[in-house]
Amino acid sequence: MAAFRRGCARWQQVRFLGARAPGRTFAGTHHYDLVVIGGGSGGLACSREAAQLGQKVAVLDHVQPSARGTAWGLGGTCVNVGCIPKKLMHQAALLGVAMDDAGKFGWSIPGPVSHDWSTLAQAVQNYVKSLNWGHRVQLQDRKVKYFNTRGSLLDRHTVRGLDAKGTEMTLTARNIVIATGGRPRYPTHVPGAREFGITSDDLFWLKESPGKTLVVGASYVGLECAGLLAGIGLDASVMVRSVALRGFDQQMAQLVTGHMEARGTRFHWGCVPTSVEKLPSGLLQVKWTEVRSDLERVEREDTFSSVLWAIGRVPETTGLNLPQVGVQLHPDTGKIVVATDERTTVSNVYAIGDVAEGRPELTPTAVKAGKLLARRLAGQSNQLMDYHSVPTTVFTPLEYGCVGLSEESAESRYGKDNIEVYHAFYKPLEFTIAERDASHCYVKVVCDRAGVQRVLGLHFTGPSAGEVIQGFAVSVRCGLTYAQLRDTVGIHPTCAEELTKIHITKRSGLDATVTGC
Amino acid sequence: MAKYEEIQVHGYEEFCKAVSERRGKDIFAYFSGDKDDQGKSWCPDCVKAEPVVRGQLAHLPAGSVFLYCLVGARPYWKDPNNEFKKTLKLTGVPTLLRYGTPQKLVEEECFKADLVRMMFTED
Repeated sequence: MAAFRRGCARWQQVRFLGARAPGRTFAGTHHYDLVVIGGGSGGLACSREAAQLGQKVAVLDHVQPSARGTAWGLGGTCVNVGCIPKKLMHQAALLGVAMDDAGKFGWSIPGPVSHDWSTLAQAVQNYVKSLNWGHRVQLQDRKVKYFNTRGSLLDRHTVRGLDAKGTEMTLTARNIVIATGGRPRYPTHVPGAREFGITSDDLFWLKESPGKTLVVGASYVGLECAGLLAGIGLDASVMVRSVALRGFDQQMAQLVTGHMEARGTRFHWGCVPTSVEKLPSGLLQVKWTEVRSDLERVEREDTFSSVLWAIGRVPETTGLNLPQVGVQLHPDTGKIVVATDERTTVSNVYAIGDVAEGRPELTPTAVKAGKLLARRLAGQSNQLMDYHSVPTTVFTPLEYGCVGLSEESAESRYGKDNIEVYHAFYKPLEFTIAERDASHCYVKVVCDRAGVQRVLGLHFTGPSAGEVIQGFAVSVRCGLTYAQLRDTVGIHPTCAEELTKIHITKRSGLDATVTGC
Repeated sequence: MAKYEEIQVHGYEEFCKAVSERRGKDIFAYFSGDKDDQGKSWCPDCVKAEPVVRGQLAHLPAGSVFLYCLVGARPYWKDPNNEFKKTLKLTGVPTLLRYGTPQKLVEEECFKADLVRMMFTED
């Protein structure tokens, strides 16, 4: 391995680019053990780990501005336009709810409480920028070479970088990791969509409040955005073509949207947008079709200050030159086809994170996959990433955390008669004096009906769902059984303890509402 | 003509005045503990970092400002309520920061010439 890294003369050769585009300056060719294209959750984790293990590593990161012109620094989607700003703004919304409750707990809040978008946005943006800087310092400190350039593959060992000024360079690499992630999708057949609409790429960087907003799409991105906007006092609506939180447990999805509707977010079910126009006032007029049945369609319209598209994400693979180099893309999703060791159809080219086919679109899985890949590439380990039982949480106004199978997945995999579903509606103690509606607070444990009743899936709607589910995810990975769950003493008074007390089965048909202490 | 302007201040008030007189400029502020008559600071890390930072000044962008600020005596600095800590949110000396941005290098980070150069040369 060492001889290969240092001695092999053929890797030292300068590679010719062939015909170069006129007007571009050329900044030279360099050799690396590993070149990572994409400086997001996966790319940074992989490159840092590889450098720590003694590899010579380079990272190329470049953000193509959104249709609205929004761009951001190092760190990828999570840091800049995903998890981080989302959770901070969700917190702003939760504080609004807390202030509503405060009076009942003895606080006197003089006068109506109002929210200022600019204050929130600036605080969030400043924090994100400090993370951009932190990542930059870390890369430099770990001796990872960083280029703010757009990478593409010239061949399986050569990456070309093009920066904003048109300066071109090439890097030769023994191994290449593609971690370019994805971007929000725009609808293709809705006039005005790209011109007048925004996406999650833009929302967190808006200097002014988005105002009355229509969120199109009931993905977790759509629901989280609509939820936080409603939570800070804006008029937020959600337009849903068919179901909310596709891929998630649908009973839980209905509890999430039910809670949002009960709190005043308008849902347009079974609707598809047809056009977006800008009025002289600057407001947006949206026309849509409500599809009541195959025969009955009603045309509707309304005006909004903002329209936010949350209809899915597309992998960032255009311009990477992948098909020409032999890296296969999935015909439906367009994501990079990978094996269990993250290898693409080109043996020294790997893909991790959102850009890879069949992977969860989550930061922690990209980070872990990146680290494990780096260790394998450095010859330090054979361990593969385990994508099973990955816990996750949707940060809607009523949060939903889960690990393992949805009820429907368990049913289809094991058969309805071979699973046992325990469930309970509970009321968080904090909701009592606050007189808050707890009708959507619910826990569900899906078990294998046979033998020790292994837990297949755990689902929870309620406050701090992410914090609640994290520990249970560890136990599920250890093969948690229903008996072990019931034998665990609960912490009182908490919402999490409901998971240790759960005993009513769906099969029994009994009332699953928890009463008393 | 000098590529950048260097200005030396002592204490929080002078610091604020220097900044307010240079609105719109790219200001790189370096904070150090006071120096004695022999020119040696009570802050050993500042003594170590200063030549490193000064060694990279040639890389400062044209038109920028290098604002060298002596924060005060050791007891003043140790007080958690001093204006630098309270208002500027400084956590230690030496600190090198780019005013109005989250870019900063604190304590041992200032010993690393490549980090200092990175701050001066990248956006």
